[in-house]
Amino acid sequence: MADVMTAQKVAARTEDAVKVYGKGQTEVRALDGVTVGFAAGRYTAVMGPSGSGKSTLLHCVAGLDSLTSGRAFIGDVDLSTLNDQKLTILRRDRVGFVFQAFNLVPTISAAKNITLPLLLAGRKGDQAWISQVIEITGIGDRLEHRPSELSGGQQQRVAVARALASRPEIIFADEPTGNLDSRAGTEILTFLRRAVDEMGQTIVMVTHDPMAASYADRIVFLADGRIVDEMLQPTAERVLERMSRFGE
Amino acid sequence: MFKIALQSLLARKLRLVTTALAVILGVAFTAGTLVLTDTMSNIFDNLSASVYQGTDALVRAKAVFNGPNQMGEQRPNIDGSLVPALSHVPGVAAAAGSAFGYARLIGKDGKPIGNPANGAPTLGGNWSTVQALNPFHLVAGHAPQAPDEVVIDKQSARLGHLAVGDTTTVIANGPPLRVRIVGLAGFGTADNLAGASVVLFTTPVAQRLVAEPGKFSTIGFVADRGVSQQQLVSNLKRALPPGTEALTGAAAIKEQQDQFQKALSIFSKFFLIFAIVALVVGAYIILNTFAITVAQRTRENGLLRALGASRRQVLGSVLVEALAVGVIAAVVGLAAGVAVAAGLKALLSVFGLSLPAGSLVLNARTVVASLVIGIGVTLIAAISPARKAAKVPPVAAMQEATVGSSGYGSKQRLIVGLSILALGVAALFTGLFGHVGSAFLIVGVGVLLVFLGVSVLGRTIALPLSRAIGAPLPRVKGVTGTLARENTMRNPKRTAASASALMIGVGLIAFISIFASSAKASINATIDRSFAGDFVINSGAGSTGGGVDPALAQRLNALPQVAAATGERFGSMLILGQPYMIAAVDPRTAGQIFNVSPVQGSIGALGADGIAVYKDDATKHHLKLGDPVSVVFRDTGPKTLRVALIYGDNQAAPTANPGSKTSYFLGTPGYDANFAAPHFDSQVFVKKAPGVPAAAALAAVKKLSAQYAVGATVQDQAAYKAEQTKPINQILALIYTLLALAIVIALLGIGNTLALSIFERTRELGVMRAVGMTRRQLRGTIRWESVIIALQGTFLGLVVGVFFGWALVRAQKSQGITVFSVPYLTLILLIVLAGLAGVVAAILPSRRAAKLNVLRAIVTE
Repeated sequence: MADVMTAQKVAARTEDAVKVYGKGQTEVRALDGVTVGFAAGRYTAVMGPSGSGKSTLLHCVAGLDSLTSGRAFIGDVDLSTLNDQKLTILRRDRVGFVFQAFNLVPTISAAKNITLPLLLAGRKGDQAWISQVIEITGIGDRLEHRPSELSGGQQQRVAVARALASRPEIIFADEPTGNLDSRAGTEILTFLRRAVDEMGQTIVMVTHDPMAASYADRIVFLADGRIVDEMLQPTAERVLERMSRFGE
Repeated sequence: MFKIALQSLLARKLRLVTTALAVILGVAFTAGTLVLTDTMSNIFDNLSASVYQGTDALVRAKAVFNGPNQMGEQRPNIDGSLVPALSHVPGVAAAAGSAFGYARLIGKDGKPIGNPANGAPTLGGNWSTVQALNPFHLVAGHAPQAPDEVVIDKQSARLGHLAVGDTTTVIANGPPLRVRIVGLAGFGTADNLAGASVVLFTTPVAQRLVAEPGKFSTIGFVADRGVSQQQLVSNLKRALPPGTEALTGAAAIKEQQDQFQKALSIFSKFFLIFAIVALVVGAYIILNTFAITVAQRTRENGLLRALGASRRQVLGSVLVEALAVGVIAAVVGLAAGVAVAAGLKALLSVFGLSLPAGSLVLNARTVVASLVIGIGVTLIAAISPARKAAKVPPVAAMQEATVGSSGYGSKQRLIVGLSILALGVAALFTGLFGHVGSAFLIVGVGVLLVFLGVSVLGRTIALPLSRAIGAPLPRVKGVTGTLARENTMRNPKRTAASASALMIGVGLIAFISIFASSAKASINATIDRSFAGDFVINSGAGSTGGGVDPALAQRLNALPQVAAATGERFGSMLILGQPYMIAAVDPRTAGQIFNVSPVQGSIGALGADGIAVYKDDATKHHLKLGDPVSVVFRDTGPKTLRVALIYGDNQAAPTANPGSKTSYFLGTPGYDANFAAPHFDSQVFVKKAPGVPAAAALAAVKKLSAQYAVGATVQDQAAYKAEQTKPINQILALIYTLLALAIVIALLGIGNTLALSIFERTRELGVMRAVGMTRRQLRGTIRWESVIIALQGTFLGLVVGVFFGWALVRAQKSQGITVFSVPYLTLILLIVLAGLAGVVAAILPSRRAAKLNVLRAIVTE
């Protein structure tokens, strides 16, 4: 862990993150003191059994949810110091999102969906970059279609293109292949990998699928709200083996 | 199923409230109207009873004919010698005559009290010396004894800032009179008789000033102890001269009450129309809301069906929900209705019609009506969505619900919509242009059908309409505008439904505005064309028979600055068997002032037996110049007049309603010979002498008027026109206020729809917020969506309203509305206000949407 954090820039991190839901008898500690850093230019996966807090961790470090205690940072910015307006603008300008489903706004075209954060900011964006993104994700021929006219795989590709289009500092993906068949899923994971390798993006992905996780450079394992393990240069077999030991 | 329905209802309490609100307002207005009507009915019943409280019998002249426009029976005065003569009839304990007629009291500031042309009458009368027969009682001072002493009612004293001991002026028979106030009177517990201002003199003075010397309007009798009213009347009947009649006090009270009831029913019908409008709009809202909620619960209903609920049970569950909403709406609406009644009472007094104090009356009928209407409207509106819910197949439980429209059956919709529209237009035209009974009802049904047809068709054109209206938004407001516009286009049926509710209110406002504008323009055009005078002296007495001293017109004619002046007197009579309110003008001078386009004869020929007839009426009754016309006067009975003038412009003739088409008028000699004194000129028209500057003429006229017609206003032509159109403006203001209710309900509907659609789009909104849409931007998209919907409804409303306005103006051509005038400024204002209303409707929903927790929205199931 130590060498990862000191050797490279950290795109996002948490310090002793605690997230508690409910009170008293019904209290749930989704995150129980998580300190983790996500290296810039790297593809990190967060894995764990259901109820491990992996999605909660993602939401909190992405600025979608607030911590009960501890701190979360995007770059050098402490998210707890931002009000809703500033947080929204931070997400718009510096963060990209790919959700498992329902990523897109159904009333506008794929092209507008891709540039949505830019449109909201009133910026034109880097046209060359956007063209490149569209080319990589291979949806150039579906740009004027509405999301309802696209297949599940195509919709996710548009979502990825959107996440990349504004050139964010970090992209958070929450089970991006969860709703896709294996072929479409592989496509998406390939795009994400290329984004890191060819375009220098930073990606943090939550997944339960060992195959998907194997695309990452590093996997952080969570259980019961705490980090319990790490794996570098993962393969699907090693991940599967590690996951099977979670029952013990 | 019953329990499930109720539980799901309670889970969404806010939605329940907003849905119910629309019907609550409609029921409140209905209940309010009924309560107000019952209250007023009660008040007037009590008032009538108070007038004849101590009267056991009444003797009066027999009615000669029934007057026009709900005036009631017309009867002449009765001879005063009957009082002593009938006092000797067995059973009579006391008798006294009552002399009442027009009089106008001038306040301390020189302004006349009361508005007899448009409101309660202003009366003068005698203070009865028999206490039991006097409906008034002293609250200050003493009864009048000297000829110049008067007692006035407490309300008038307050309005005119007069007190016991003050001297003021009274307009009655002859020149203005200076009088001394020696007492104030109350009427029962009220400060006056239903808003009527009263000046009470000694009996001989009253007879001279407001009735005829030696005569009375009625004679009242008090019975001896032990003698019933019936007994007294039969005794009196044996002693009555021909042409007179006697009735019991109870019968007199009933007569009075019936007259009030007639006036009241017109009044309550007026308000009930608005209640119906509010209910129709409310029904639209219910239908729309239930349609949305049913669509949102497609999966739920599919699940229920999959688990074994029958179609009937699902239908029933929606209806149970509607029933719950209806019951709440009815009960709350009833309670609110009482508040509405109080509000309407206050509203009326603002617009000039003040009512005496009295507590509000809540009848069983009102309670039952409110419940039936509230529940009925809600259930009926919910039937269609309920049936759709029942049609949901069980497999829907497994399917992902999509937020979108179904464009099915658009050809069918076109046909249905056009059919309903055609039916409505047919009914409308039949009612307006055909000569059928209950035309009003047919027109009402036609209006309803037209609205219904347009709202059905509205769904077909909703998509292109939203696109067109929202076209400038993407350019002006960027992605916020694009999203707003796209949202209105994604479910055109729902957009159209929300807009339709607003269409009704806007359509009616546009229609009324056009009609009023046309009426005003017609009046102005008529006055321009037919009125050659320069000034009008207005007594404010309208066509009630009151006015100013006729000597004024005479003196004006003698002025060097005046070329011609004529008074205008009013009275009712039967002409060829029909009752009319006719005007009489001075034949020596009126021809220079009224351009009636004489065809045969002249105004100057209107002698004591002359009558002027419009050329079409002359043709209809086969009348030539000089032919006899049989008429009946109240005071002189059946007479034969001769046609002295056949005229060509029936809108130019002297009339009680400028602009309307008038068939007959008289000359003052004929009037004076046949109507008993006192005679009053309601208005005096003056034409200045050529070469005299207007300012100088006006000054001379004003000086004389101040002397002979204290408190009357002197108007130039522009002011005269404004005066004629004032009543229209007053009614218009009242109608606008009432229609505002329909608009408010429609806005609630738009807000409701927005809130529901936001709920549907929660996940989508969450994604937008996640990728960086600020709260402000989100509020913006919802706000502009609301504005587009509001403008869509406005557009449809304007189209329908202009059509209605045109139709009614065409239909009323025969009544004198000859100019079709569109008040463009008003309509543009309406569009702007609708846009603002859209903004307002969006405030609450957009703020709630903006407050959505982003994370919870994204992971919403």
